[in-house]
Amino acid sequence: MSQAAVLLLGLLAGVIGGAVVGGVVGARRSRRLGARRVDDELRASGLEHLTGGADPAAAVVRVVREVRRSAAEESRARALLVDVLDGLPPAIVLFDSAGVVVLSNSEGARMLGGRHGEAIVARVVRDLLATGGDRAVELAGPPARHVEIAMRVLADGHRVAVVDDVTERRRLEGIRRDFVANISHELRTPVGAIVVLTEAMIDQAEPAVLERLGAKVHREAVRVSEAIDDLIELSRLEHDAGLDVAPVLAASLVREAVGRVAHAAEERGIGFRCDVSGGVDEVLVDERQVVSALVNLLDNAVKYSPAGSVVTVGVRPCTTGAGARGVCFEVADEGIGIPARDLERIFERFYRVDRARSRSTGGIGLGLAIVRHVAQNHAGDIAVSSREGTGTTFTLRIPTPVDGPADHEETS
Amino acid sequence: MTEDLRKNLHRGIDSIQHDVVRLSAMVAEGVVAGTAALLDSDMDAAQSLIDADDVLDELTNDLEERCFAVLALEQPMASDLRSVTGSLRIASDLERAGDLVVNIMKGARRMYGQDLPVRLRGIIQQMSEESARLIRLASDAYAERNGALGSALNEIDNRLDELQRDFIAAMFDAHTNGECELPQAVQLALIARYYERIGDHAVNIGERVAFIATGALPDYAAMGARGVPGAGSAEEE
Repeated sequence: MSQAAVLLLGLLAGVIGGAVVGGVVGARRSRRLGARRVDDELRASGLEHLTGGADPAAAVVRVVREVRRSAAEESRARALLVDVLDGLPPAIVLFDSAGVVVLSNSEGARMLGGRHGEAIVARVVRDLLATGGDRAVELAGPPARHVEIAMRVLADGHRVAVVDDVTERRRLEGIRRDFVANISHELRTPVGAIVVLTEAMIDQAEPAVLERLGAKVHREAVRVSEAIDDLIELSRLEHDAGLDVAPVLAASLVREAVGRVAHAAEERGIGFRCDVSGGVDEVLVDERQVVSALVNLLDNAVKYSPAGSVVTVGVRPCTTGAGARGVCFEVADEGIGIPARDLERIFERFYRVDRARSRSTGGIGLGLAIVRHVAQNHAGDIAVSSREGTGTTFTLRIPTPVDGPADHEETS
Repeated sequence: MTEDLRKNLHRGIDSIQHDVVRLSAMVAEGVVAGTAALLDSDMDAAQSLIDADDVLDELTNDLEERCFAVLALEQPMASDLRSVTGSLRIASDLERAGDLVVNIMKGARRMYGQDLPVRLRGIIQQMSEESARLIRLASDAYAERNGALGSALNEIDNRLDELQRDFIAAMFDAHTNGECELPQAVQLALIARYYERIGDHAVNIGERVAFIATGALPDYAAMGARGVPGAGSAEEE
């Protein structure tokens, strides 16, 4: 733009010069002189296509138009570029060679002016201005985030920083990495035990010892069998999303599920408190799936509760995470709770909060994955809140036409 | 065009504010990361947090120097003056809060190898969330010059004080049940106190922000009446 300004000044000098001379030697001649000076200026600036006019003032107007047009084009191109950059998820910031911000998308501007974690990331970006290269930053949050920063030096000395939030990618990598380790732990451990136990049985003649070893083999075999049942159940839920939806009483779903874990609860001296008085009558769900989800939640609650405590099951009308009207099934225990760092991972297949405990509590770590799939198949969701040492509450939310007064939500 | 006349002053104040916000972000991150290290018995993480305190101290010293430079060279007035002197004190509160994270890490190191009773783990997690939240709110109040939010931190801090009382009660229970030996109990009591102190520093920052924004110092006499442990809003909840 400064080049255009110099050019304009030159042109004006030509016009004014022409006018001054014109005062002495006559208007026509002065215009010709002025026009020649204007043409000289234009040629010197590489704008031959604007030369040749007889009137210097008209040449100035042409140049002003040209400058305006190119400025408008430039700002249009810049706006388009910013629009495109705004559409990209990473924060992108362009610095000039002195480290001054030339251009940034909206994420980039948010990062540079941000507080908390953003302030820390912005500082790393500034540090990289001097050195260039890549850097990964872990933020403790909450929420915990993984950020990758890449600083590239462009040919003209400009630098561009691309700041990418890779939290989700890292999480998925973690799931994939742990999956193989976990599944081999859950399936191979009992099979390995069976191999060793049966080897011992082959060499054994003592009936009492044989019986004891046989019982152990049986226990491990049941464990493998349960694991395979769970795997088949989960795979069915994943691949066959077809729901067998029918109207069913919410209270009977709860009763059915509680009935299935009653034996295990009784053994451990754990009681149930059922609260189905929330005003939910009939719900439209796949009975088999929802009962299976509730059984899994109740089974966990019983396993992780201290003897003599109470597990609470409730049904009430609610709004799902997606904003639909529906019903909430709530299972709350007074157990050991789940550490904060594990909360987001417990719905993964085979994920274990405490692997050392898993053998004593049984199961293979698929229960919550099954619950999550049941929720997804119903277009609902599953939420958890937990405090170590206080207890855990799981909330299964399923959209369904809810009977009863429409304003129930507001009053409850 | 007063802004042009005092360009250096405003540039100085902006850069100080920017770095105070960053310092508070580093402290809040340290609280959260430190709690994870404590609860996971992750000694590598604990050590790196202890080392990271040097960076915090350096930034605090640097900030202090810049505040003095602005005071000496630019002679700020009115809200500009309050902003610089306020930032000076806020930076030292943040630095102290950072030191408390180091204290928590050293406590974690002394308790290494001993299981924490689950109930206590739960309360530690909550205290950590509360104290990190207070630091973040203090930083928001500072960045927005929001005196009302700054003054409100004292009330918000009541929750942390309550948690500390719960923690001590839960610790006595754990000790009675034989879940917690005396040396560990002592470390834990100190750690609970450190979290509570981090909250107090956040409250201090809030008061400073209110002073920067309004020019009025908090009314300690009135606060004393409400601030008695167990009285006021803590009881109403």
